[in-house]
Amino acid sequence: MNAVKIKERSISRTKKDVTFDIVNGIIWFAVLLAVLYPLWLVLIASVSDAEAIIGGKVFLWPVDPSFSGYRAVFQHQEFMRSFLNSIFYTVAGTSLSVIVTMMAAYALSRKFAGKKAVTLYFLFTMFFTGGLIPQFLMNMQLGLYNTMTLMIIINCVSVWNLMITRTFISTSIPNELYEAAAIDGANHFTYFFRVILPLSGTIIAVLCVFYGVARWNDYFTGLVYIRDDWKMPMQTILRRLVASLERSGSADAMLDFFGDAASRAERLRLAEVTKYSAIVVSSIPVVGLYIGMQRFFVKGVTLGSLKG
Amino acid sequence: MCLLERIGRAVKRDWQLYVLLLPAIALVFIFCYLPMYGIQIAFRDFRAVQGIIGSPWVGLKHFTDFINSFYFGRLLSNTFLLNFLGLLWGFPFPIIMAILLNQMRGKRFKRFTQTSIYLPNFLSPVVIAGMLFLFLSPSTGLVNRAIEAFGGQPTHFMLEESWFRSLFIGSEIWQRAGWNSILYIAALTAIDQGLYEAATMDGATKFQKIIHIDIPHLIPIIVMLLILNCGALLTSNTDKAYLMQTAGNIPRSDIIGVYVYRMGLLRGGMFSYTAAIGLFTNVINFVTIITVNWICRRLGETSLF
Repeated sequence: MNAVKIKERSISRTKKDVTFDIVNGIIWFAVLLAVLYPLWLVLIASVSDAEAIIGGKVFLWPVDPSFSGYRAVFQHQEFMRSFLNSIFYTVAGTSLSVIVTMMAAYALSRKFAGKKAVTLYFLFTMFFTGGLIPQFLMNMQLGLYNTMTLMIIINCVSVWNLMITRTFISTSIPNELYEAAAIDGANHFTYFFRVILPLSGTIIAVLCVFYGVARWNDYFTGLVYIRDDWKMPMQTILRRLVASLERSGSADAMLDFFGDAASRAERLRLAEVTKYSAIVVSSIPVVGLYIGMQRFFVKGVTLGSLKG
Repeated sequence: MCLLERIGRAVKRDWQLYVLLLPAIALVFIFCYLPMYGIQIAFRDFRAVQGIIGSPWVGLKHFTDFINSFYFGRLLSNTFLLNFLGLLWGFPFPIIMAILLNQMRGKRFKRFTQTSIYLPNFLSPVVIAGMLFLFLSPSTGLVNRAIEAFGGQPTHFMLEESWFRSLFIGSEIWQRAGWNSILYIAALTAIDQGLYEAATMDGATKFQKIIHIDIPHLIPIIVMLLILNCGALLTSNTDKAYLMQTAGNIPRSDIIGVYVYRMGLLRGGMFSYTAAIGLFTNVINFVTIITVNWICRRLGETSLF
């Protein structure tokens, strides 16, 4: 690039670079501290003694380690049931999303009559939606309100993911492969299942993470569409436990849970540590999925930046 | 006849592709296009017994009601300011992070850093809000214990309306800055290594390489993302704002999406009025994004579609 004009300098350049590296190192140390410390804090608080947390003594290492918070979480029936619900919604919803997206993306990567219209049909929904209320009324009329079906099929196709996948298929799987397979008598179905799916490992992994995380973390759908407690996804229950202001007495869901166990002071203490444990337990699945699949990300996200 | 024949031939040739498309088309139809049909409720007075089609027409009544209401200015400015300030503070972070990461020495440390800064992106809004409530609690949170230790008075951050935007935007940056740097990192890794080597030969320092190689290469993406973000200044991050909303901070935390949910569904009843508010903002968003895309295309870089 011709914009690179370098002036000759008499000062030793290695010395300047060393200074740069030191400053850069210090900056990253600070950034990592800022990013990881809150997470570390949740983790150590979840295994500490409630008294120490409330007293502000837990800030570096766990104090008086105990697993009473985790024990309480695993005994919390409402939480555990919603946890299983969320696993079900996530696994079923993600599987459906991935297969539907792969099928449509493959079709969109090939030539056919009406391709432009179909692409526009999908793209339009990225820019204009009916809005919350019309969607709610329509789902109500379709009889989907308060059903587990809705939790699985709503937001099933993300147009963004669909476009990423289409780009991946059309750029990474050569067309000649289809022509060769067609000579051998393959049609679109056999080609899709025998050739496209086996060659799309990377993008399927990316889709699993994007769809899976979105579903696991989704709070609003459950809030709007689910009425019965036993169908609630975990985020709704988690919110009741951790993300509300402490109120006096029975309004705090946690205090209720420890109702008969002990005195009010004791309940308050247990509730405090259990909140941290609940956050940890609720995040383990997504963090695990992320750590396991991270090597695919940069590729997947970069694909999205390609012009469709 | 000719057209029918052509359609017939296309179907015969491509029917398998149409079958593969069908599930996606159907799902998008049910959850995106049927609601668009339901938009008409914004021009009617919804009555549960009569259904969407049977309710009487009222024209633009709900729109004028909204524009004349006390909430109009408050909701619009809250939504706009939250997005605008979030963009102002949040936009530079991913760029700086990508550039500094690119200069980092040591593969292992680099990898560890990348894994760490992407991680918060995967936490749910409930967890983020939960952490804010826990850390900032006046009676049990660590932040207020620290303030007390330095002789200050505990503050009920989540109840203070003046703290809402800082907390919202700050936690947003904490959660997303690392993840949003991925695009810039990818652009930087695509730069020809020969440029850096040539610059080194000419005696360029790392800082000079950033100024003269990295930044010029990032400008197109920066411009595009900036313009795209400007097209989303009236959208609502409803989940998070709702989760962080308390009786105290409601004058600031009431953004359009939250208000629509609260008045339309939570308290119930005001379906038509809130549908009108939703439509009003959707139309504005639609017009902005189309304009913005048009500008992008004129600039000749990239367009979204």
